[in-house]
Amino acid sequence: MSARMLVAGLGALALLVTGCGGSAPMGAGGAAAGRDEGPVKIGALHPVSGSNAVDGLQMRRGAQLAVDAINAAGGIKSLGGRKVELLTGDTQGKADIGQSEAQRLISAGAVSLVGTYQSAVSTNVAVVAERNRVPFVMDVTASDAIFSHGYRYAFRVQPGSKAIATAAAQYLKAVSEQAGKPVRKVAFLHEQSDFGSGAADAFTAAAKQLGIGIGPNISYDATTVSDLTAQITQVKASGADVLAVAGYYRDSLLAAKAIASVKPDLSAVWGVSNGAYDQPKFVTDAAAVGNLYFSTNYHYDATNPETVALREKYQKQYGDPMRTGAVLSYDAVQVIAHGVEQAASTDPRKVRDAIAAAQVAPLTVGRGPIQFAPNGDNRNAFPVLMQVRDGRVQQVYPPEKAESRPDYRVAWRP
Amino acid sequence: MTELDTGAPVVPDTAPPDRKTKADKGFLSRAGIVAAVLVVAIVVALLQSGSGLVVWQSVVTGILTGGLYGLIAMGLTLIFGVLDIVNFAHGAFLTVAMFLSFGMIQATGLHPYLTLVVAVPVLFLLGAAVHRGLLSGAGGRSLENQLLITLGLSLLLENGLLMFFGAEPKTIDLPGDFQFPLLGAVVAGSRLYAFLGAVVLGGLLYWLLRRTRLGTAIRAVAANAPGAALVGINVRRMHTLTFAIGTACAGAAAVLAGPLVTVTPTLGEQFNITAFVVVVLGGMGNVVGALVGGLLIGLVEQLTTIYLGGQSSLLGVFVVFLLVLFLRPQGLFGRRA
Repeated sequence: MSARMLVAGLGALALLVTGCGGSAPMGAGGAAAGRDEGPVKIGALHPVSGSNAVDGLQMRRGAQLAVDAINAAGGIKSLGGRKVELLTGDTQGKADIGQSEAQRLISAGAVSLVGTYQSAVSTNVAVVAERNRVPFVMDVTASDAIFSHGYRYAFRVQPGSKAIATAAAQYLKAVSEQAGKPVRKVAFLHEQSDFGSGAADAFTAAAKQLGIGIGPNISYDATTVSDLTAQITQVKASGADVLAVAGYYRDSLLAAKAIASVKPDLSAVWGVSNGAYDQPKFVTDAAAVGNLYFSTNYHYDATNPETVALREKYQKQYGDPMRTGAVLSYDAVQVIAHGVEQAASTDPRKVRDAIAAAQVAPLTVGRGPIQFAPNGDNRNAFPVLMQVRDGRVQQVYPPEKAESRPDYRVAWRP
Repeated sequence: MTELDTGAPVVPDTAPPDRKTKADKGFLSRAGIVAAVLVVAIVVALLQSGSGLVVWQSVVTGILTGGLYGLIAMGLTLIFGVLDIVNFAHGAFLTVAMFLSFGMIQATGLHPYLTLVVAVPVLFLLGAAVHRGLLSGAGGRSLENQLLITLGLSLLLENGLLMFFGAEPKTIDLPGDFQFPLLGAVVAGSRLYAFLGAVVLGGLLYWLLRRTRLGTAIRAVAANAPGAALVGINVRRMHTLTFAIGTACAGAAAVLAGPLVTVTPTLGEQFNITAFVVVVLGGMGNVVGALVGGLLIGLVEQLTTIYLGGQSSLLGVFVVFLLVLFLRPQGLFGRRA
């Protein structure tokens, strides 16, 4: 009795405090409901409540801007100018909610899904998409595991965890050699879940191939850590000349503060898929402490005038700088609309085939057009190296995407 | 047993005088065992890492974060010991106070520590209101009642903060924060202040409970509520007051911890579990025990990081926790009620 009461009570509480953050389903009546008339529907799944709400809302807005742009340009021409409509779902950052929301949007007639910012949620949504044969184009999803199942309906725009970590090692070698201080040994500090450990493993493998030494490898629990001073002291004692950090925003900021107080003998701090070191917010929060920090990550293309215009529009409309996640959502919706245009159909299976063959110019940094490999990963996804310089995050490597040259020093050792 | 070295058990010592020395010996031997185990742990850490500096920094960091844990756990242990309420909303109260402090700093440019003047009374009133409105009937009642009420309250507070302040993480800067070297280890001023704050707050609560009429009444209610009522103590009022003092402690802890953390609505979850472990280690209702328990957990966490290269420092904490529960269910410094 008591255990059941507890569970029932908790369930009721959870219902009480969850806001309803999605659009209402419109006449959900089987998978084909409402696909043949009215606007073409695209389902966006993001965490717009919970601890990732800031990014989730950014991404939903990015998707909406893409839909607005398509409609302003005359809608889907091959379907006689039919307009596009964004159906929205709130995953709350929970895998099970993401799954049920995905089902709801598909039932409401979505021809394709876009989302979800979190790997665990995307994993579940990919299963629903596969079962319903509806394409799912991921804007932000770091985990590579989803693409090892042979799914036909899963696609991804951002470079995966392994691609970013491998590029981070290559950029480090190139940039340090250019500066005349070739990297010897890299200490790796990372949070201990899949995200951080995956980045550390991939970086280590790539570094070994390049002849870069690795050690020590230090992990921490991102949810409870409140001081990283001892860990940074370990780095200092190890004699490593570069510290790579793969963590979320809060813990990476803690690491930066610990580095500032311990002052280890480093040539550079090197973010890998880092949740802080390429965020404008980090530049203000860490101030002088975060100066000259490097970060290898996906990024909006600061050298592309179209991207600059889009970010200006976002800033005007929502009074907030547009983040990379939102630009990736914009790209993903463009890919879907392109697929519908090419398929000249709202049949999700035909749209899937068109997406698989698509080539769409991205507004995020890429090696070329967005183009999917057989496993659904973006062939031309391309991480870029950034650095905090003169009070803002700048793209510094490779040269063709650089706003300025990398400055291979640390702020506390001129 | 001298009162000073046992901390302040809320449950009055009713043992006859001839048993005092025995209790005293028991306490000293326990403290000795804990100290010896810690020394061994530090030596093993030295062998493991091979760097004296790393271990020394871990010990210093462990003591400083331990003070922070003790600080956060103090209000919780008071509520636990006196009211028998498992208060899952303690972390949320902490977060509310932190946002209050943050909001005041933003609005008025006050020095972060000066927000104590507002955060403590506001949290006191909030605690009183919550106890009167929600919990009056739940003390000593079935566990799931309290769990549900306090958990529900914490969800409500967290989501309220989320609605009001948004999920964007915020930082509180301490003007003139400094670092100084301590035999090669680094100590940040803000962390030292939080540690000293824990010692001062522990001392204040100890004094309140042992040396004032109010404290005597609180302890009487904790020991025997019907008896206390018979001698004219208003039990309900004492309960409300204790709960309010407990949440006011969360307010003080929040102001001191503010500059050390990134402020988000879900911040409380980060400390909730640790705080409960500290309370059980130190003995329910024992404020000085909470401080010592906090130090112990802080050290264990840091040393585990050296042993296991950071494979969840919580692992070490829970091993210690289970050992203590198994060997001394009433906590290291608690006594059988």
